[in-house]
Amino acid sequence: MQSFFQTLTSGLSFGAVYALVALGFSLVYRTMGLVNFAHGAVLTIGAYVASTFYLSARLPFAVAVPAAMAVTGAIGLVIERVLRPLENKDFDLMLIGTIGAGTVLEAAAILIWTSAGRGVPSPVSAAPLIVGGVRIGAYNLAVVGIAAVAVGGLTVFLQRTKRGAAMQAVAMDHEAATAVGIHVGRSNALAFAIGAGLAALAGSLASPLLYVSPTMGDSLGIQGFAAAILGGFGSIPGAIVGGLGIGVIGSFAAQWFQGYSDLVTFVVFTVLVMIRPTGIFGEQTVNRA
Amino acid sequence: MIRRYRVIGCAALVLLVAACSAPGSSSDSTAGGSPASGSTAPVKIAVVDAQSGSSSDLGQFEYRGVKLAVDQANAAGGVDGRKISLSLFDDQGDPTVGTELARKIASEGYIAMLGTAESAVTLAMAPILESEHIPNITSGQSTKLLAVGSPYLFLNGPTGLTYDSTLAKYVVTTKGYKKIAMLTNNDSYGAGEESAFSTSLKSLGLTPVATKVVPAGQTNMTPELTAIRGANPQVLFIGAEEAQSGLIVKQARALGMNVVIAEGAPAGTPLFLSTAGVADTNGTIVSSPYLGNGVSSAAQAFAAAYTSAYGTAPELHGAKAYDGAEVMIAALKACHACTGLALANAIRAVHYTGLLGTFQFNNQGVGIFATAIGILNDGKITPVSN
Repeated sequence: MQSFFQTLTSGLSFGAVYALVALGFSLVYRTMGLVNFAHGAVLTIGAYVASTFYLSARLPFAVAVPAAMAVTGAIGLVIERVLRPLENKDFDLMLIGTIGAGTVLEAAAILIWTSAGRGVPSPVSAAPLIVGGVRIGAYNLAVVGIAAVAVGGLTVFLQRTKRGAAMQAVAMDHEAATAVGIHVGRSNALAFAIGAGLAALAGSLASPLLYVSPTMGDSLGIQGFAAAILGGFGSIPGAIVGGLGIGVIGSFAAQWFQGYSDLVTFVVFTVLVMIRPTGIFGEQTVNRA
Repeated sequence: MIRRYRVIGCAALVLLVAACSAPGSSSDSTAGGSPASGSTAPVKIAVVDAQSGSSSDLGQFEYRGVKLAVDQANAAGGVDGRKISLSLFDDQGDPTVGTELARKIASEGYIAMLGTAESAVTLAMAPILESEHIPNITSGQSTKLLAVGSPYLFLNGPTGLTYDSTLAKYVVTTKGYKKIAMLTNNDSYGAGEESAFSTSLKSLGLTPVATKVVPAGQTNMTPELTAIRGANPQVLFIGAEEAQSGLIVKQARALGMNVVIAEGAPAGTPLFLSTAGVADTNGTIVSSPYLGNGVSSAAQAFAAAYTSAYGTAPELHGAKAYDGAEVMIAALKACHACTGLALANAIRAVHYTGLLGTFQFNNQGVGIFATAIGILNDGKITPVSN
């Protein structure tokens, strides 16, 4: 039983990171109907920027992470601005545009930080919490807590602020939103910026658990994408449940199926999606772009 | 106008056919030999190593080692007055890309190849290089490379079996540990390590208390480590590349596992240390033919030159690649920049004392047959007498 709960807690802490990645995917998708394939690369940039601030500039981790989110938020704005002329005209080109942006960002990461990876020491030195023999790392707990705060903040923003309500309106009906004076382009830009900020948050938080490398965003991006689909692409609660679900499934698959854990995780994912194609919470999006 | 299009179309067709034909597949391919005397053209050598993707760290280490050796040789006059021209190709750590590059370097007239850093890529390239009569000194260490049986394939270090038999002997016989767990990944390197270490343990009459395998790209190894922790081992043997090994150590310590870590080549490298955190690697038992930059005067000179050239200190992979390049250069000098089988035979005949030891190749292309044991503390490996 102790082994079961140890595996579960490990899955939940990684799942919290996947949930943040999934949130970024979902936010852009629900607003624009667009899958942002540059999301993983933005995560990589965010992780590198945060680790540079933390390790090289010696800024506290709590400062380095928001700074990285601001940098990637600006990158998100640039990507949206580049894609904006294509909106409502050529959806395929927009998709390809996000793939292109991702390639450029990965190449930029290698140019700036070289292809060598770097380890990031844990910013939390507190002793692990031990409950019934199950060790829960202090940093893992912090990751789950920060992810929960980020989700709460995003929910409040979307439901309680004017800009958030405008984004919701654009997500529901962009033509009606335009008719009542909402600037659709601005809402899209905000969605991209917040999505990119969440990617940086996920990458920064994952850095001390993993290590930062140019390919970091590939695996986390795929897991986050799967989490978003599992939860219901475009759904905020779905992203959280999907992220935690993929984390836990992956964790138990690793314990029981070892070298075949990735295969088993995605077989389970495929079966779940076949049973419920719109994901656990169903799709909440507009089909445009 | 139509006539002009036909001409352009025919020209394009000819170019397409030429481009699609397999490079080096022409019937006048030979097994090489001595070059025309008096040639002043550069001696073309290809370096194939990952410069992108998850293995790019290794690729960079390797390329720097090779380039240093070649730069030194060129500064000393090259081969019979001819400069050595080095070209770098990025295999991305992908065997498929490797096979494409093997055809490319054959078609572009490279007479020898150094690299790759990964056995899986070298295994994919070896049949093509053999058919094209291009000698290759690889940094791979899988025993599967020996099974290829190519007279053109050489290793610039010991095989995985050498690393692991030395390690197993030290852990079991010298230190007296009996409860040993194994965690390896499922790629070519990890599978080789799993096979070599378990064989070595078996020869010492021991069975691991736990054996777990993880996918090569997996980042959360806590579930497997949790299962291993339940077996209460004294030693954890790791068979995975640098970054994943570092993560395993970090996650094992986070689970409160105070086992002794035992590992081959990846332990002690900068990426391993930075991923795991230096403190968590203390006490790691390392089996390596190159235990650090201070183990010999040759290593010190190499480290000084490397640091001067690149602004960073070398490690095992750079040293291996440097030795491999030195062996290649020695062979080229001995046979006056010959090619093909003659060059392969010249490599086999080289007796060279380098950073890893004295190279004396057998028929399977292995030239180094020993590793030493060191203990990692505060990021430095201290050799032990075993």
